[in-house]
Amino acid sequence: MWSVEIVEVEVLEKDERNVRLLIRGVDVPFVNALRRTIISEVPCMAIDEVVMIENSSILQDEIIALRLGLIPLKTDLDSYNLPQECPCKSEFGCNLCRVTLTLDVEAKEETRTVYSGELKSENPEIVPVSDKIPIIKLARGQKLRLEAYARLGKGKNHAKWQPVSMCTYKYFPKIEVLSKCDACGKCVEICPRKVLAKTENKIEVRNLMACTLCQDCVEVCPQNPPAIKVEHEEDTFIFSLESTNALPPERILTEAIKILDKQFNEFEEQIKVEKGEES
Amino acid sequence: MIIPVRCFTCGKLIGDVWEEFARRVKAGENPGEVLDSLGIKRYCCRRMLLSHVEIIDEVLRFYEEAEKRKEAKVYY
Repeated sequence: MWSVEIVEVEVLEKDERNVRLLIRGVDVPFVNALRRTIISEVPCMAIDEVVMIENSSILQDEIIALRLGLIPLKTDLDSYNLPQECPCKSEFGCNLCRVTLTLDVEAKEETRTVYSGELKSENPEIVPVSDKIPIIKLARGQKLRLEAYARLGKGKNHAKWQPVSMCTYKYFPKIEVLSKCDACGKCVEICPRKVLAKTENKIEVRNLMACTLCQDCVEVCPQNPPAIKVEHEEDTFIFSLESTNALPPERILTEAIKILDKQFNEFEEQIKVEKGEES
Repeated sequence: MIIPVRCFTCGKLIGDVWEEFARRVKAGENPGEVLDSLGIKRYCCRRMLLSHVEIIDEVLRFYEEAEKRKEAKVYY
């Protein structure tokens, strides 16, 4: 049985797009489950179906539809349902599981670029995260008219529904300089991340977080056995996450934990049913 | 053809910075420094912008020309 001791979480860096956490007191299966849940289970909004009304541009309908699908949309998870969980049970969708966006553009005078900001959404909350994404370029006289339906979806079905563009974790490094070290400085030179520094007659760890555990400093050490030890903490991880801005990073984390919790409960229920059947 | 919306490898949105990138590089700035200032950190996203050629501009020229000819015909 997997037991949880005290889990400590410290925020290392945070802005509207990125979050870097230091998580103590968990094991690899846990952080990996969290990572996989974020990538494949946290829902977000993306254009899923496109009805082309008129397209006289030089790109095919499919290419335009694909480009529209990849545009990240600001997502409101509280007021929308996943299509398969929506009470409307309709394949086409209702107001609670679908947002319509329209695009009606024509190049009247000269060649111009159509940007994501020109998509008109029926819900002003569900709009592209950036207004400056080029969708297509139109020469004079070319027209593009379409209706696009955005739905909630999960990253396991298509990468456009992934709320993150990066979600990784790494072990927290532990560097130890032994007393027999003669401060030759070779490890300082070779370190690609400038983790180590030489002060007077000592090698010092300056920037522990940047260490990638590459072991170059251990290999270059002229002493045998090496006078420097690079290891990692078994229960501490640096977890970094970069959102596509569809959802704020802290919301992605809380949502992932909720989903994980639900899945664990379902799993437990199933085991109970199995046991009941056996006895 | 036209700048992809997202990075092929990681899925970061890169379409929206292309025009600024292209303009600044054309003005003579160092591409690497422009990418740094735009906050494009990973090499997968950096190659998307560095190696991109807007072929759509070349293709559109034919359509612009065709339109001009049509106009000229109407004129005479």
